[in-house]
Amino acid sequence: MFEYKDFLIETDKFALNIGPSHPATHGVLRVLVKLDGETVVSAEPIIGYLHTSMEKYAEFRTYHQAETITDRMDYVSGASNNLGYILAVEKLCGVKAPKRAEYVRVILAELTRISSHLVWLATHAVDLGALTEFLYCFRERELILDIIETVTGARMTPSFYRVGGLAMDAHKDFFDKTRSFIKIFPEKISEYEALLTKNKIWLERTKNLGIISAEDAINFALTGPSLRGSGVKYDVRKAEPYSSYEDFDFEIPTGETGDVYDRYLVRIEEMRQSLKIISQAVENVPEGEYLSYDEYPLYVIPPKKRALTTMEGMISLFKYAMEGIKPPKGEAYVSIENPRGELGFYIISDGSAFPYRMRVRPPSFCNISALNIMVKGHLVADLIAVMGSIDILLGEVDR
Amino acid sequence: MDVMFALTVIKESKPKAIVSADNIKGDVHIRIKKEDLLEFALFLKTDSRLEFDMLSDLFAADYPKRPERIEVIYNFYSIKNNFRVFIKVNSKADETEYPSLTSVYNSANWFEREVYDMFGLKFKNHPDLKRILNPDDWDGYPLLKDYPLRKRPEPEEIKMDAPGYIEPEKI
Repeated sequence: MFEYKDFLIETDKFALNIGPSHPATHGVLRVLVKLDGETVVSAEPIIGYLHTSMEKYAEFRTYHQAETITDRMDYVSGASNNLGYILAVEKLCGVKAPKRAEYVRVILAELTRISSHLVWLATHAVDLGALTEFLYCFRERELILDIIETVTGARMTPSFYRVGGLAMDAHKDFFDKTRSFIKIFPEKISEYEALLTKNKIWLERTKNLGIISAEDAINFALTGPSLRGSGVKYDVRKAEPYSSYEDFDFEIPTGETGDVYDRYLVRIEEMRQSLKIISQAVENVPEGEYLSYDEYPLYVIPPKKRALTTMEGMISLFKYAMEGIKPPKGEAYVSIENPRGELGFYIISDGSAFPYRMRVRPPSFCNISALNIMVKGHLVADLIAVMGSIDILLGEVDR
Repeated sequence: MDVMFALTVIKESKPKAIVSADNIKGDVHIRIKKEDLLEFALFLKTDSRLEFDMLSDLFAADYPKRPERIEVIYNFYSIKNNFRVFIKVNSKADETEYPSLTSVYNSANWFEREVYDMFGLKFKNHPDLKRILNPDDWDGYPLLKDYPLRKRPEPEEIKMDAPGYIEPEKI
């Protein structure tokens, strides 16, 4: 005869690999999860599957060739990454871009922020089973990519900035398209919110989940919406304004508890604030030069018209294309507010045409490192929700 | 408050640890010795006038011609005061006594693993020092200046009995 104890099973901790190739990891991330039943005991992210050694590659490229590497790191917000890199090179050379170029850069960076947040919202919602949201978000993202294509010629990897300005002047079409986008977008955000913000299933899946306290978040060097969701009001655009951000009036949304739902609310509100910045920038774009060639002829490309009509311009463009720019010896660090957090570029120059060392401070890299303390004690299904709310991008984590 | 205030506070409190301090394009760069690093970081974090609560970045650069070729650069940031300082420490590549900051900042964990992965600098008392971006069996340290750009494994290292491997002439 069997006794009751014969039916009891030995239970033990169970190791489960999520990824490297899994739709919910948004790239090639592997998470080694230790489970007790269905409860997560520890989760260790294992990265490096997309490593292409971009920092090493940059050492063998001229300063402008290396720009094209930066937008391939964070391929969802390319214009933002280019901005950080170009600002760092400009700081190294002591160059300042004209006001018009700075405004266009801000418009592009903020459009990219919206499009990146839309990708995040779409995929995050799909992870939690809200499939309609995905179609809504990608509908508007297409409009944004269209606008970016109008001015830069590329949808996701623009590489449109040059040291001291832009590759070419922004066309009237660009501003018109942006204006019509500003008109339609606020009601679209309400549409997204109508589906999720007060949805009972959404609340159950996201409230009080993946909580990280402000001290922990700072200690893990979290930045961006993941930090602001915990109530820390830190935004590089306000703390160290770059590229004329001090001209614009906008708020920094913050959360309270630091759970998945707070991070969701912060990002939704950020889209509204970005729209506010774009509308201010579009209305106040100053006329004038888009390259500061006259002030810094040593480092700045001549505008196309000058290059094709004047002798000096032609020679300058030729030298620029053949040799590249040679910043003086030194080091420069610039950080900007990427859609995912603080993106920093530390460039060391030895006086040659190639960067001696380019260091990228990737925001997603730090954000994902705190995954373990966020998911400890939750269920496996919640791990997917938390991972989505951090908004990682593996191209940038691995570089 | 200006970051120069932070520099004066650091200079007053830790005059012996500082090797040199300068201001490059508005950024404060301080060079210290590696023996003082741990104490220095604790001081930066806990001092009530500074409160550098975030280790924003940690990375290295390689200078093969120097006697101590690896330069580790720490990027400390204070959210409350909006200060940013760069601390630089020089070290040999095979240094065994290089201190780890993981006991002070959690973010140092992955950053130090990355420096180990790319430069081969071993951090003492690091809880989990292993490669992070490259595979565990990778040969060499890619970001050293004497590591070639397109280094590939030698042909004999490729395993011929790997599943799915087809002899070249059969293709």
